[in-house]
Amino acid sequence: MVTKLKEVDCVVIGQGLTGVMLAKELTMAGLERGADRKPEEEVVLPRIRDELKYNARKELMVDNSIDTITFRNSSDQTALPIRRWGAFLPGEGVGGTTNHWGGLHWRFLPTDYRIKSTVTERYGAKVIPADMTIEDWPVSYDEMEPFYDKFDKLCGVSGKAGNLKGQKIDGGNIFEGPRTNEYPNPPLKTSAGALLLADACKNVGFHPFPVPFSAPSRPYTNIYGVTLGSCEYCGFCGRTSCEANAKATSATNVMPVLRREDKYTLKTRAFVSKILYDRQAKKVTGVTYTDMKTGEEYEQPAGMVILSAFVFSNTHMMLYSGIGEPYDPKTGKGVVGKNLCYQFEAGATAFFEGKVLNPFMGSPGDRIAFDDFNGENFDHSGLGFLGGGYIVGGSGSAPPIGGRDVPEGTPSWGSEWKKQTVKWYYGSADFNTQGSVYANRANYLDIDPTYKDAIGRPLLRMTYNGTDNDHKMSLYLLSKLEVAIKAMNPTSYELRRRPKNFTVVPYQSTHNTGGTMMGTNPTNSVVNRYQQAWDASNLFILGASTFPQQHGYNPTGPLGALAYWTADKIVNEYIKKPGPLVQA
Amino acid sequence: MRLLLSGAVLGALIVAGSPASAADAAHGKTLYTACLACHTEKPDALGPSLKGVVGRKSAALEDFRYSAAMQRANLTWDEKNLSDYLKDPQGKVKGNRMPFSGFGNDKDTADVVAYLVTLK
Repeated sequence: MVTKLKEVDCVVIGQGLTGVMLAKELTMAGLERGADRKPEEEVVLPRIRDELKYNARKELMVDNSIDTITFRNSSDQTALPIRRWGAFLPGEGVGGTTNHWGGLHWRFLPTDYRIKSTVTERYGAKVIPADMTIEDWPVSYDEMEPFYDKFDKLCGVSGKAGNLKGQKIDGGNIFEGPRTNEYPNPPLKTSAGALLLADACKNVGFHPFPVPFSAPSRPYTNIYGVTLGSCEYCGFCGRTSCEANAKATSATNVMPVLRREDKYTLKTRAFVSKILYDRQAKKVTGVTYTDMKTGEEYEQPAGMVILSAFVFSNTHMMLYSGIGEPYDPKTGKGVVGKNLCYQFEAGATAFFEGKVLNPFMGSPGDRIAFDDFNGENFDHSGLGFLGGGYIVGGSGSAPPIGGRDVPEGTPSWGSEWKKQTVKWYYGSADFNTQGSVYANRANYLDIDPTYKDAIGRPLLRMTYNGTDNDHKMSLYLLSKLEVAIKAMNPTSYELRRRPKNFTVVPYQSTHNTGGTMMGTNPTNSVVNRYQQAWDASNLFILGASTFPQQHGYNPTGPLGALAYWTADKIVNEYIKKPGPLVQA
Repeated sequence: MRLLLSGAVLGALIVAGSPASAADAAHGKTLYTACLACHTEKPDALGPSLKGVVGRKSAALEDFRYSAAMQRANLTWDEKNLSDYLKDPQGKVKGNRMPFSGFGNDKDTADVVAYLVTLK
C-alpha cells in the first residue's frame, strides 16, 4: 500500500553536497535515505576522533547491509556484491560524502574541458585508441569560472592562485586556468615533509605549490553568512567530520541556514526507490520512497526532480526507473551507465632517518603538489599514452592507528614491527600521483541480474578495470615522482605501482565518475550542458556521474561548480519557462 | 586579513598610549572571530553561549552538553580563570573538548577577556 502525498514543486534526491547546494539556491523538499547529521550532536570531541569507529568501521558511509553494488573486472565474469566498502567510500546522511572527504579542492584545466579536441589538434586523431571513449565537455572552463569562484566562496577555500586573470604567479599553480579572484583564504601551513618536497621540486625544475584545501586557514564567513572556523591541523579529515567547523561540509556550511528556511522540508531515512516517469510526455512526475524507520512506502508527486545522489545511485536510479537508453558495451550504443571512470592513483613513501617531520598533526591541506605532468600540461608525443595527474606529498595527518609507515619487508605485528614503527614514525613522508582515467568502452554500470538491495531492487553492477593507457600513464607519473623523491635525498623510498587488475580493496579514492554523462546530444549523453536529462526536461542530475571522463584532479571542485551553474540556469531561465534548455 | 591587521595596529597604538595592563576590548572583538564558528549564540551552536560568561560557574548552562572534564572543573569564570583557559585550554582544563589550541600570548588573551566582559 503506497501512500500518495500532496504534490510539491520540487524534490531533491540525496542531501549530500550538490543536493543541499541546489536546495539552498531553490528551496525545496530534500529526501535523504541516511541519517540527519547535526554537527552540534555528532561532531564533538573526543568521539569524532575515534579512528576505529570512523576509519576502520566506516561510520559515515552507506550501510552495506541495506545497499551496495556488485563488481567484476570484465563482461565475461560474474559480479559479486561488495559487502563492505573498500576502494571507494560513498557517504550517507545529510552532508553525504562531504562529511568525510579529504577536502582537496581543485579546478579542472581549460584543456580538460575540450580534451578530445585538444589531443586531436596536438597529436592527430589516430593517437586516441579505438576503445577510448573520451569526449569534450559541453561546457568550457571560462563558462565554469564564475561558478568555481562561487563554490570557492561557499567553502572558504585556502590556497595560492597561480594564474590571476591570465597573469602567472610564482608560488601558485602556474598551470591552472585563469582565476577571477585569489582564493578566499591564504594556504594552510605546510607540513615539514612537504617543505622538503617543495625544495626538491625547485632543484629539479618542477613547479611546486601548496594544495588548494576546502577549509579556511583563518576564521571566514561564507556566502550564506555562515561563520566557519579555521583549520586546527588535527589530522583526522579523511574519514570524519570537522569539529572545528572548518572543513567544507554541507552539514555545516549550508544546512545551518537552509534548516531555517520555511520553504525547505528535510525528510531523513527516506530511501527513494524510483523516479516516476511519463515516457510519452518526457516528464518525471515524482518519486516513490520507503520510510526506513517504518518500512512504509510513499509516493511523492513533484513538478521537478533533482537527482543528486552519489555516482552509483544516480545511475542506478535512471536504469531502474527506465529513463534513457541503457549502455550496451557490445554495440557501443545507449548512454546510461557509459563512461564509468575513476582515479588511477599510485603512491610512494620515503623514509628519512633521524628527521622529525611531525606526522601526528596536519591536514590534507598541508601538502605540496606539482602539476607539470597533468592533462595536457606536457607534451605526450611518443609517450604512448594520454592523460596525467598532479603529484603530491607531505608528512602530516598520520592518525594513531593507520598512520604508521614502516619500510617494506617489516613484519606487520610483533616486536620487530614496534621497533620499526618507533624508528620511522617521525621520519616518513607520503606521496601520491592523482592519475586521470580516460573513458574506455569496456567500463560501465548496469543492473545486476542476481543480487537485490534491502527494499527489493536489483543492485547496480560495476564492470571496471584499469586500461593499458592507465598503467602507462601511471608509470610515467611515478617516474617523475621518483625524480622529486631522489632530490629529497631520503634514507630509502618505495614506489607502489597499481596492480594489473582493479580491486575493490584497499582504499584508493572515492573519485568514481560517469554513468549519466553530459554531452551535446541524446545519442552521446544522458544530460545536456545544464545537467538536464534529455529524456525528461524536469529532471536534473548533479554530481560526478555527469562527467564524460575523469581528469587528474579530485572531482569535488568541478562538480560543485557545475551544481551552481545548473542552479543559476534553473533560477534564471527554467523556472520562468520550463522545458528543454537545449533542443535535442 | 586586512581586518585583523588593522585591528592589531589599532591595538598597538592604544597600548602605546595607555598603561601596559589596559586590555583592548576592540582588538579582543576582532580576535573573537576565531570563536564565532562555534559560539554562534544560536540553538544549533557547537559551543555554549558566552553571554554573561564572566562571573559564571563552569559548565553552568543547562542546554549545553559539557565534557566530563569541564563538568569536573568546578571553576568560576573570573577574568583570571578565563585568561588561563583561553591562553592554553588543555593546560587549564585537561581533556575538555573545545577544539581550539589557545591564543598563546598574554596580550591577545587579555584583549579577548576584555571583550568577553562586554558580552551581556
